[in-house]
Amino acid sequence: MEAPPVTMMPVTGGTINMMEYLLQGKAGGQRGAGGGWGAAELCVSGTGSVLDQSLESLLHRLRGLCDNMEPETFLDHEMVFLLKGQQASPFVLRARRSMDKAAVPWHLRYLGQPEVGDKNRHALVRNCVDIATSDNLTDFLVEMGFRMDHEFVAKGHVFRKGIMKIVVYKIFRILMPGNTESIEPLSLSYLVELNVVAPAGQDVVSDDMRNFAEQLKPLVHLEKIDPKRLM
Amino acid sequence: MAGVPAVRISIESACEKQVQEFQPSLWPWDSVRNNLRSALTEMCVLYDVLSIVKDKKFMTLDPVVQDPPPPKQVIKNTDIDLDKKIPEDYCPLDVQIPSDLEGSAYIKVSIQKQAPDIGDLGTVNLFKRPMPKSKPGTPHWQTKLETAQNVLLCKEIFAQLSREAVQIKSQIPHIVVKNQIISQPFPGLQLSISLCHSSNDKKSQKSASEKQNPEDHLYVLEHNLHQLIRECHKQTLSSTVMPHPASAPFGHKRMRLAGPQAFDKNEISSLQSNEGLLEKIIKQAKHIFLRRRTARTIDSLASRIEDPQIQAHWSNINDVYESSVKVLITSQGYEQICKSIQLQLNIGVEQIRVVHRDGRVITLSHQEQELQDFLLSQMSQHQVHAVQQLAKVMGWHVLSFSNHVGLGPVESIGNASAITVASPNGDYAISAKSSANVTKAVEKKHETVRNGPESGSKVMVQFPRSQCKDLPKGDVLQDNKWNHLRGPFKEVQWNKMEGRNFVYKMELLMAALTPC
Repeated sequence: MEAPPVTMMPVTGGTINMMEYLLQGKAGGQRGAGGGWGAAELCVSGTGSVLDQSLESLLHRLRGLCDNMEPETFLDHEMVFLLKGQQASPFVLRARRSMDKAAVPWHLRYLGQPEVGDKNRHALVRNCVDIATSDNLTDFLVEMGFRMDHEFVAKGHVFRKGIMKIVVYKIFRILMPGNTESIEPLSLSYLVELNVVAPAGQDVVSDDMRNFAEQLKPLVHLEKIDPKRLM
Repeated sequence: MAGVPAVRISIESACEKQVQEFQPSLWPWDSVRNNLRSALTEMCVLYDVLSIVKDKKFMTLDPVVQDPPPPKQVIKNTDIDLDKKIPEDYCPLDVQIPSDLEGSAYIKVSIQKQAPDIGDLGTVNLFKRPMPKSKPGTPHWQTKLETAQNVLLCKEIFAQLSREAVQIKSQIPHIVVKNQIISQPFPGLQLSISLCHSSNDKKSQKSASEKQNPEDHLYVLEHNLHQLIRECHKQTLSSTVMPHPASAPFGHKRMRLAGPQAFDKNEISSLQSNEGLLEKIIKQAKHIFLRRRTARTIDSLASRIEDPQIQAHWSNINDVYESSVKVLITSQGYEQICKSIQLQLNIGVEQIRVVHRDGRVITLSHQEQELQDFLLSQMSQHQVHAVQQLAKVMGWHVLSFSNHVGLGPVESIGNASAITVASPNGDYAISAKSSANVTKAVEKKHETVRNGPESGSKVMVQFPRSQCKDLPKGDVLQDNKWNHLRGPFKEVQWNKMEGRNFVYKMELLMAALTPC
């Protein structure tokens, strides 16, 4: 694959190639409840109260397992930009901003293809580049030739345990493009993500992630979900 | 089904090879065939195992005794023996502590004067500090957990300190031996930080009563170590580290602004704290040592020298790296008149900064002798300043005044200062010179002669010519009026003068020379 047309070269001298290790799952039902947890439709395994209850117990368990801090909630707005070049697969960049914290910088992220490695590796590993930017990012990307593909709002909780980050959030669809006030939830379930950003080659990280994921069963089963299989 | 070759699977016993022939998968019933085949294999294996077991020659079946399920730990009230008294602190909760966290621990920080021999390094120098008694109401599991937590914290502190001791490059390398870290903050001074972990066995309790001097232990620094590590934890666990937006990496929120706001190197390094735990604690130890020694110097001078008097007013509000003291040099009985010498000493980590009342700023190093010499020279200057102030009060005129006279022999400490004053009617003049000549206190049986700056004072009086008998009479001065001028100087035997201190004696002298 030839180099993308927009050079996103890191600053010379001093960056370490960072990889993202990812495990995802869905929260919203108990394993033994007969409905299973896998597919999105089956997650609606009951009334709204059941959903909240399972979220509450998940949050409670995470509160106990993770570092002892005040629980952090977040409300973010993410826009995915594509650059269509001559090659078949477009170049994807994700721009994310915090809607509840005013003065924080925007976050621009590039995620590479999942690494084809050890089948026994428990987490999805892909190359990632994280950049903090000022708030005129969208104008810049549009000027560079990117076009917004889709956007969504994510609202939920974030926990940490050492270098691991656990995010429990719900995705909301934006009804009118550009207006983040009118949103509706995409599904009734919460998405759970466990990710670690670490320098390349540290495979022991994925073992730690798996051990942590074991502790969240049966509330939620985290596994490596290949994004290509979903498309 | 003609034309399609059948699948032939021949079933043999476990001792013979299985022969299978089948067509490659062009067949829509492929998966069914595979499932059936695997089921068949499983059944064959089971059949073989059962037949071997029936034989009882190579394998037998043995029934397993099922353990009854363990009884629940909840004790019903009716089960408790009402005759036996339940202890007051009965609690069904039990805590099990891993073996390496048992017992109690503390961090001992001490400063010693001489460096020990190499053979002494690594000796486990602990003494069993009596554990603080827990409040009578606390359940036993709480005290157990708290003690274990304390042990864990002390181990973490020591691990962090030893890691830094090995990694950080300093001029004099730190030594890490077993449970002790030794470093040299000042030459001739040794700071040792040791982790004292005593287990709960009765045997070690007996042997742990060493003859260590508990006065040695700096409790302040131990407390500060605990405080510093908790600060560290608070930093990592603070919400300023959490990412907003949620996909951002961890890190202090101000550091995240470094990119968009184009911080330069200075700004970034000011955000990152470079000093480790060990460096901080060594700086604090240096400051404590310097402060103690300064206090000791001032106190020893105050007790040794009675005239003039030295007073120290220590400031209540201090920093871990800085303290201040105000030093006043006064004469007893004349505090309101003679207050020229007031020094503000700011004791830092390695230096002492002195701000004089007249605006001079002097920096002294950590050497004890420098401070002592400086204070002695200030005390001798005070005497001369006091005469100047006294002259104003008594109505005498100051003819000359010098803080640092350039004549006479070179003094051992500082410079001599001198003053000449004339009486109101001009008949007499007193000239006083003061220097910081310090000789050792001499004790002759029951008599102690204290020598201080006073021993370096010399007072001379000038009389009018008419009162001098031994003047040669000459032909040049014919007129009688010249006899009213002042003549030669005569030294006063100052140690025979009445008066408890220099200024008092001077006042008496002035009074004696002022005719009513």
